[in-house]
Amino acid sequence: MKIGTPKEVITGEARVAMTPESARQLQKLGYDCAIESGAGLLAGFSDATYEEAGVEVIKTAAALWKASDIIAKVRQPNEAELKRLNKAKTLISFFNPGGNEEGLELAKAKGANVVAMEMVPRISRAQKMDALSSMANIAGYRAVIEAGNNFGRFFTGQITAAGKVPPAKVLVVGAGVAGLAAIGTSTSLGAITLAFDVRPEVAEQVESMGAEFVYLDFEEEQADGASSGGYASVSSPEFREAQLAKFRELAPEVDIVITTALIPNREAPELWTEDMVQAMKPGSVIVDLAAEKGGNCKLTVMDEKIVTENGVTIIGYTDFPSRMAAQSSTLYATNIRHMMTDLTPEKDGQINHDMEDDVIRGATVTHQGEITFPPPPPKVQAIAAKPKEVVPELTPEEKRAEEVAAFKAQTKQQVTLLAVGGALLLLVGLVAPASFMQHFIVFVLSVFIGFQVIWGVAHSLHTPLMAVTNAISSIIILGALMQIGSGSFLVILLAALSVFMAGINIFGGFLVTRRMLAMFQKS
Amino acid sequence: MEYGFTTAAYVVAAVLFILSLGGLSGQESAKRAVWYGIVGMALAVFATLVGPGSGLWLLSILLIAGGGAIGYQLATRVQMTQMPELVAAMHSLVGLAAVFVGLIAHIELGRVMAMGAEEKQALDGFAKLLAKKSSVEISILRVELFLGIFIGAVTFTGSVVAYGKLAGKLTSAATKLPGGHMLNAGAAALSLIALIWYFNTGGFFPLFLMTLAALFIGYHLIMGIGGADMPVVVSMLNSYSGWAAAAIGFSLGNDLLIVVGALVGSSGAILSYIMCKAMNRSFVSVILGGFGGSTGPAMEVEGEQVAIDADGVATALEEADSVIIIPGYGMAVAQAQQNVAELTRRLRAKGKEVRFAIHPVAGRLPGHMNVLLAEAKVPYDIVMEMDEINEDFPETDVAIVIGSNDIVNPAAQEDPNSPIAGMPVLECWKAKQVFVSKRGQGTGYSGIENPLFFKENTRMFYGDAKASLDQLLTMIQ
Repeated sequence: MKIGTPKEVITGEARVAMTPESARQLQKLGYDCAIESGAGLLAGFSDATYEEAGVEVIKTAAALWKASDIIAKVRQPNEAELKRLNKAKTLISFFNPGGNEEGLELAKAKGANVVAMEMVPRISRAQKMDALSSMANIAGYRAVIEAGNNFGRFFTGQITAAGKVPPAKVLVVGAGVAGLAAIGTSTSLGAITLAFDVRPEVAEQVESMGAEFVYLDFEEEQADGASSGGYASVSSPEFREAQLAKFRELAPEVDIVITTALIPNREAPELWTEDMVQAMKPGSVIVDLAAEKGGNCKLTVMDEKIVTENGVTIIGYTDFPSRMAAQSSTLYATNIRHMMTDLTPEKDGQINHDMEDDVIRGATVTHQGEITFPPPPPKVQAIAAKPKEVVPELTPEEKRAEEVAAFKAQTKQQVTLLAVGGALLLLVGLVAPASFMQHFIVFVLSVFIGFQVIWGVAHSLHTPLMAVTNAISSIIILGALMQIGSGSFLVILLAALSVFMAGINIFGGFLVTRRMLAMFQKS
Repeated sequence: MEYGFTTAAYVVAAVLFILSLGGLSGQESAKRAVWYGIVGMALAVFATLVGPGSGLWLLSILLIAGGGAIGYQLATRVQMTQMPELVAAMHSLVGLAAVFVGLIAHIELGRVMAMGAEEKQALDGFAKLLAKKSSVEISILRVELFLGIFIGAVTFTGSVVAYGKLAGKLTSAATKLPGGHMLNAGAAALSLIALIWYFNTGGFFPLFLMTLAALFIGYHLIMGIGGADMPVVVSMLNSYSGWAAAAIGFSLGNDLLIVVGALVGSSGAILSYIMCKAMNRSFVSVILGGFGGSTGPAMEVEGEQVAIDADGVATALEEADSVIIIPGYGMAVAQAQQNVAELTRRLRAKGKEVRFAIHPVAGRLPGHMNVLLAEAKVPYDIVMEMDEINEDFPETDVAIVIGSNDIVNPAAQEDPNSPIAGMPVLECWKAKQVFVSKRGQGTGYSGIENPLFFKENTRMFYGDAKASLDQLLTMIQ
């Protein structure tokens, strides 16, 4: 089958869904690859490099759509593109199925199979094809770079001969993939980075990236993000108030705010209100990564950069990944390639659209003339991390009390054991004759010595210990030797056998122990 | 020769044996300790041969020499990876010897009791000892030799089965005859009845009946214990062989037998206890076989096992500063200890910190891994116990798991429904990167899914451990 990638039709979109490298990998899966002439130009891949990788370059989009069985692209297809589909074709791209009913209907009418890349379930197995994450990663990075571009100072604090430069203070709101990428970029540039998220369990991730997590003074159990597939859910009004109060407090201090807060299938929540913008210092920058869904700041203008009256720059670009087309194309093409790998289990260049597979089922929005969106919940749920139980720190008194109690319990146990043991011994002594008791004392004392001695044996020497005890347990030979001389043939036979076996054991046991011990060497 | 000399020799031998066990507390003193044991044994045998009661000493010496020759052959030929089988096989010999000695005591007892007073005067040695006994003492003697035979018989069949399992001649899975523990309980009850019968009559038949029952118990008990519990089984049998010797010592009135039997018995008991603790299982549940029932469905394991080739492992090792290697039974099976040692040498030569983390129940015998690594000349001061090294994993760049599974299973900590929940494990997943050398995708010996293999920082290095390491060694010079 042939995989084709057309040039993106939306102006300003520089990404491309196939790179020469991904084409080579796709060919290994048994596919032929084709690309529309000039599709990779904006991302830095010329037609020549594609041809070198064995990709057929097709002049026009129409011809490419006609020739290909599978079309891989980036942006949601427009009507004209969808009309080119038919029953035999599969489309893989972003599709926005939640807000694109006409598109779904059209694809259904055409009978084509459509795989929407944003619908890939968020489970570990599917991470390699999670294009949302790979794009969000780029957006997070780029957001910091854009902010830096519009920010008139250094990120890192410096003390130079020409004076002291304070470090920039960056606040990242929302610690999802984009947020974490922004945190990482910002800290590595040297800024003091604060981060906030409504899911308290991400505090650890935030701190691991070198940022400081902003905690709220708020007593409410937040719904665990893991129960909703790793996304944030809507928070209560009280919680929202506490959150805004905290932001208001931070607004005058921070130089750069990067907001990434999105709730699935909803308008972006307003987190950075107008009065906070007013409170910020002139020259500060806000980058609103939620601009496409209305923005976390109401002043944000989608796809534009504005400067407020008090000199705060607000960036509302929605095309961050496209601004780094070479990087994002590489990652996106790899996501597509992984998706194809899953769709081609036999590596024979034929699609096997397995609707039983959680990942494929989840991402497929139309299949054989049916709309299959929304998908059923995946069979495998993300493992919800159990909240850790905090062990309260013990005060010295409590500790001492505990020790005393433990000591008392131990004493009690030992005394009971001794008492019971002693009583049992006395009982035996009442019945048994003195000659038995003499041996019995020896026995009990030996057991004690044994326990004391063996506790001291090093762990690493347990095998030699077993070999040695095995060897000396053939002391049973003494019994046989004592008896061999007296009595009948049967006795001699049995005793002789015992002596023989014990002989094997003595020599075997000791020799093997010596062999083992000789091996232990110090470095 | 006088009786006093024999007793004196026994005292010296007992002290030597105690020193011999005590010396095992350190690697250096252990080398000396073995000699104490050897000298003690030689002294004991010599004293018994020249002491009262023994005869046919030429035959005895010949037999010891013959047994010794076989023992020597066994000991020099055995592969270090086969140690568990060897130890189990040797336990069976002790068990059988105990049964025989007990039977002899019974025969002698019958013979002596049938004699008249004058004949008794003429006896010497063991028979003389018997002749002097009062009726109460004879009753006690019966109980003692009965116990000796019972424990010896259990040890014998148990060890044979353990040997079969360890050598791969029997299936290692826990198998039970229909009826399960009821059969064991029945056989034990039968033995108890036989004891009372024998106590009263002194006949041979109840003794014979009990021996059969004990043989069955030994067989069935060990058959019912799964492969992963083998370290406990071996040390438990070790303990039994000691108790059998002690019981025989009682019936023969020989203090040295009692002392040594008690030493060996308690040593095995402690080892079993340590092993059980390392697996967070009660001794009873191990003996009764199989893992305890889990209380709910096991946690779903999510994700996939990501494979890596030797090249990738080599690169990661080149970059790492600290490496911890976790060997398991798989290393023993693949005979890969030499390759592991070579890898260690090369990495250490590059100035990297390489250490080994040994779980108490790694392998099929207590301390099994230590012996294998020692054989391959890995210095023992970089071989660490679990408690010593567990806290160091977060600062470790690379952890390499070679042929172990359950002892690195995070489910023991994370999944309360897991059959191994609560068992202390090596927390290798906290290392920055984990490589698992494993033959295939299957579950481990105990059949429990291991979430470690699905973790994000885990890479699976599939293939036979030895072949994989060979390949790796060509890339690390």
